[in-house]
Amino acid sequence: MRMKTLLACASVLVSQMAVADALPQRWVSAGGAFSEWVVALGGESKLVGVDSTSQYPQSLRSLPGVGYQRALAAEGILTLKPDILVGSNEMGPPPVLEQLKAAGVRIELLSAKADVPALQHNLTELGHLLGKETEAQALMDGYLQRLQTQANWVKVAQQQHAAPRVLMLLSHSGGNLQVAGKDTLAAWMIQQAGGHALGEHSGYKPVSSEAMLSLDPQVIIFAGGKLEGEAARKALLEQNPVLAQTRAGRDGRIVVIDPTLLVGGLGPRVPDALTRLASAFYPDVKPQTAEINP
Amino acid sequence: MTAIFRPRPTLIFLLLLLMLVFWLSLALGPVSLPLGDTLLAGMRLLGLPLEGGDTQQAELILGQIRLPRSLLGISVGAVLALSGVAMQGLFRNPLADPGLVGVSGGAALGAAFAIVGGSMLGGVPPAIEPYLLSVCAFAGGLIVTAVVYRFGRRNGQTNVATMLLAGVAMTAMAGAGVGLFTYLADDATLRTLTFWNLGSLNGASYPRLWPLLIVAVGVALWLPRRAAALNAMLLGESEARHLGFDIERIKLELVLCTALGVGAAVAAAGLIGFIGLVVPHLMRLLVGPDHRVLLPASLLAGASLLLLADLAARLLLAPAELPIGIVTALIGAPFFLYLLVRGRT
Repeated sequence: MRMKTLLACASVLVSQMAVADALPQRWVSAGGAFSEWVVALGGESKLVGVDSTSQYPQSLRSLPGVGYQRALAAEGILTLKPDILVGSNEMGPPPVLEQLKAAGVRIELLSAKADVPALQHNLTELGHLLGKETEAQALMDGYLQRLQTQANWVKVAQQQHAAPRVLMLLSHSGGNLQVAGKDTLAAWMIQQAGGHALGEHSGYKPVSSEAMLSLDPQVIIFAGGKLEGEAARKALLEQNPVLAQTRAGRDGRIVVIDPTLLVGGLGPRVPDALTRLASAFYPDVKPQTAEINP
Repeated sequence: MTAIFRPRPTLIFLLLLLMLVFWLSLALGPVSLPLGDTLLAGMRLLGLPLEGGDTQQAELILGQIRLPRSLLGISVGAVLALSGVAMQGLFRNPLADPGLVGVSGGAALGAAFAIVGGSMLGGVPPAIEPYLLSVCAFAGGLIVTAVVYRFGRRNGQTNVATMLLAGVAMTAMAGAGVGLFTYLADDATLRTLTFWNLGSLNGASYPRLWPLLIVAVGVALWLPRRAAALNAMLLGESEARHLGFDIERIKLELVLCTALGVGAAVAAAGLIGFIGLVVPHLMRLLVGPDHRVLLPASLLAGASLLLLADLAARLLLAPAELPIGIVTALIGAPFFLYLLVRGRT
């Protein structure tokens, strides 16, 4: 009897080891949000290389960099001996992916689209590949719940106040400001946080100072540069004095967010950012943290 | 300008140099393969049934990554350098480079059209996507060059000076077109466009190599047959005509070779600067202005220089990679300045 139990235990153990063996152990991630999810699912120790957009958490920056996701180098990546390369469908160039495939590297394409179904798909895939299906499901449920709480809160807030007009500005190290338009993660976030996104174009485009003035945003979200908080706010107004003349500038309603949030689809930090944005949009409404944890 | 070195030994030296660099380009890379494995894998790729050793990985890296890349590098370098000689001969100006007749500008416009236009139209069918960029770049280079050539024609003759100015104007117009596409591009395509403009041999594959290789061999066989005519043109166009050369035909051939060669090179590897300008210069210093020696010398040196630059591009930042245009400009520009300073004394 004891022997049988032992055997059964052993066989279970062996079969589980076989599963663990089949899972990819050495990961290269080409996409900021994907890397973040791998880390969130406890797979950071499996990452052996990341692309140039994987800047968060800080610890990823010490990993070997494989460059920009659209200009990957086959041989360079092979030096990392990866089992799997995850990235969005923008990853390339295609011949390099072919060469990597031929060398036995599994290529897993995830979606960089900023919407919930894409995230659901990505998380399921990553959870499966990391052997952490339950954790992935739990993360997804928590994420959806937070989005739902957020939406409910926004509904309440919008009964008391009109949605503020929000302009999202992106800056690459002191260069021209770019305004986030439609089909961007920024626009999705503004809408989720209960704001009215200005910017009628699609993607990110430079917009003249005068046009910014005429849009007259009530809140400005600024993503860019190495500066944070008050310093970034000050630098923004110094370099673009015209912004001080907008309503957002006069009322001092300028929110600074981390630009790495906006890369590669919905990341784990998005709900927190949404909460922050929402409380900046509706400063008079009771913060939602009290509602989440009653 | 007289030769520093005698032609034949110099050519033999350059040939040996190219062979050495080609070997380095096959043997070195971010993945360090043992020399024995490389040799064994190379032999097996050549079809020799050798025993022993597991060289599957080495064969893949050598056969599918390094060999097409090295051959692409040789073709691109050779074609750019040859076109440089042809253009400097045609315009009788040492500052001429293949971009002067508008082929680079046109190719850049074609590429921008393919990259940005393709993604704006909601993507292109996957079957033609890999070829679209190359075909558009090649066609763009050819069309703009044809327009420039047409502007230079008057009364059955080609005015080289008019052609040069038309080339400048058309390049500026193509630049405006690229700027417009840059404005229309979204972030991702913008990055692709920027990287393309810096050139790269990354992702070289045989389907991408063959068209260029054919064009390169054609140009390399054709241009040396016109060496005598190019020599005569050094004296001046009318002198060359009096020496019995069909000068209008030669001009057309030179422009055509450049348009085809540079167009194909740019289509395969993006814009790579300075090879076409610096290599002919350097070779003229070494072997003198005789095109019978200058053309083959430039071919060999251009190929070697591009392979060396590519070696640096893939080794310096491994596992990431540097665009090769940065490396060639970094080597080429200081060298060019050195030539200018030297020429003054």
